[in-house]
Amino acid sequence: MAAPQPLQRKLPPRQVYKSVDSKCSAQFLEARVGRNALLAVIPDPVTCFSTAKYSQMQLFRVHSDSNLVIVDWVTSGRHESGERWEFDLYKSTNHIYLDGDQPLFLDSVLLDKRSGTSIAEQMQEYQVMAMVIISGPKLKDLRCQLQEEVKQMMSRHLRSPNTNTSHHVRSEPRHGPTRPLLIASCSTFGPQALGMVVRIAAVTTESVYMFLRHHLTTLKPFLGASPYCQAGR
Amino acid sequence: MVKLTFDDGATDGMHEQLGSELLQWRQWQLLDSVLPTGGFAHSYGLEAAIQTTFVTNPIDLKSYIVQVLENTGSLLLPFVYCACKSPDIVAWSKLDRLLEATLTNEVSRKASASQGSALLRVAASVYLEVPSLKEMRDKFLGSGSVYFHHAPIFGLICGFLGFDSSTTQRMYMFMAMRDVISAATRLNLVGPLGASVLQHQLALVAEEMMKKWMDRPVDEACQVAPMLDVVQGCHQYLFSRLFCS
Repeated sequence: MAAPQPLQRKLPPRQVYKSVDSKCSAQFLEARVGRNALLAVIPDPVTCFSTAKYSQMQLFRVHSDSNLVIVDWVTSGRHESGERWEFDLYKSTNHIYLDGDQPLFLDSVLLDKRSGTSIAEQMQEYQVMAMVIISGPKLKDLRCQLQEEVKQMMSRHLRSPNTNTSHHVRSEPRHGPTRPLLIASCSTFGPQALGMVVRIAAVTTESVYMFLRHHLTTLKPFLGASPYCQAGR
Repeated sequence: MVKLTFDDGATDGMHEQLGSELLQWRQWQLLDSVLPTGGFAHSYGLEAAIQTTFVTNPIDLKSYIVQVLENTGSLLLPFVYCACKSPDIVAWSKLDRLLEATLTNEVSRKASASQGSALLRVAASVYLEVPSLKEMRDKFLGSGSVYFHHAPIFGLICGFLGFDSSTTQRMYMFMAMRDVISAATRLNLVGPLGASVLQHQLALVAEEMMKKWMDRPVDEACQVAPMLDVVQGCHQYLFSRLFCS
């Protein structure tokens, strides 16, 4: 008997145009992941154009032996044309419930132009925000590997001399970029660290595609193809 | 809720005034940095922000603090509010579990549990007129079923002590500002006098943030500073660190 083939749905990239009459585009996804099953949600990033409003909600119901990979990311707009974080509102909510109604992961990110700090000021030179959720027993090796590689990558940058400012306060603005082009951090969540979330900020979309392509390649046996192997090139 | 009772022949009005005056003394004690709750072990991601060069001068610092204040409002005030307005152990334990799932950043989640535990330990010893505090600590400590997150515990304690929810939420915002500015002085980003000037300048911003995010249900809790989240998560990768978070 042949191994079950993964069920795939390919969706076009999400581009959100300017809001008309203050209306907000919204998207809702709800999924139940069965026992010993795997769901991978691996889209291209959402791109919100100037004055756009977008809200999405993704709700996942899992068991302790379900497996889940979710990539959720947004770019600053048509940044090559100088449009950087000029949308009005972006809200992304990801909720994961375990065994019915036990809250496992409840995250909601809101980027709103009405905030005290403008989105562009908060993001600085970073043009992409991404989040990768990896959860479930089959993906434990992937979690460990990713955690170790992110730690190595960030530690290398944090040990370099130009980041040591403990007795060095500059009153003039810094000259030229001294920050990493991609910054990432990992957090585990859930009982016995069942899941992990990686948060990423990057200066280019391509660098995030490369990061995802490199780190998610171990999903190929599960998915039949390596995620993002054709994307972003 | 604690009701002070007097047996001295004075009028109800005089008792009410004394009650309200004693509440002020309680408020000052709760906000005093001398209270041993371990708040000064945490920098709200500032140490990581400095080492990743997000914050290198007082201008960056001011912007950073504004983002911390807004994120405290959007993510945590709903938990403070809900715990305070109907102080109840069962409701509190649900809020605590919800916040455990909502604090997806491991560094800030551990900081929250650590600060909340310390606050409850102090409150259970100090506020003997609220026996529920010691009872709940005895019941849940070591059970593994609650995490003692800071925001709901703070709200619960203030609710039991008789503070209204507006005052409680304002106190919570004040403490966030106090702690991150204190961390900034210990990280040599600003001197003590400069820190005091900054705190005074930011009071209006903190009040605006509080008014914007106050009195919301917990299902509206959200984070508005994802860049802060990425940076704070890097705290665990710092080679040398002064703070726990």
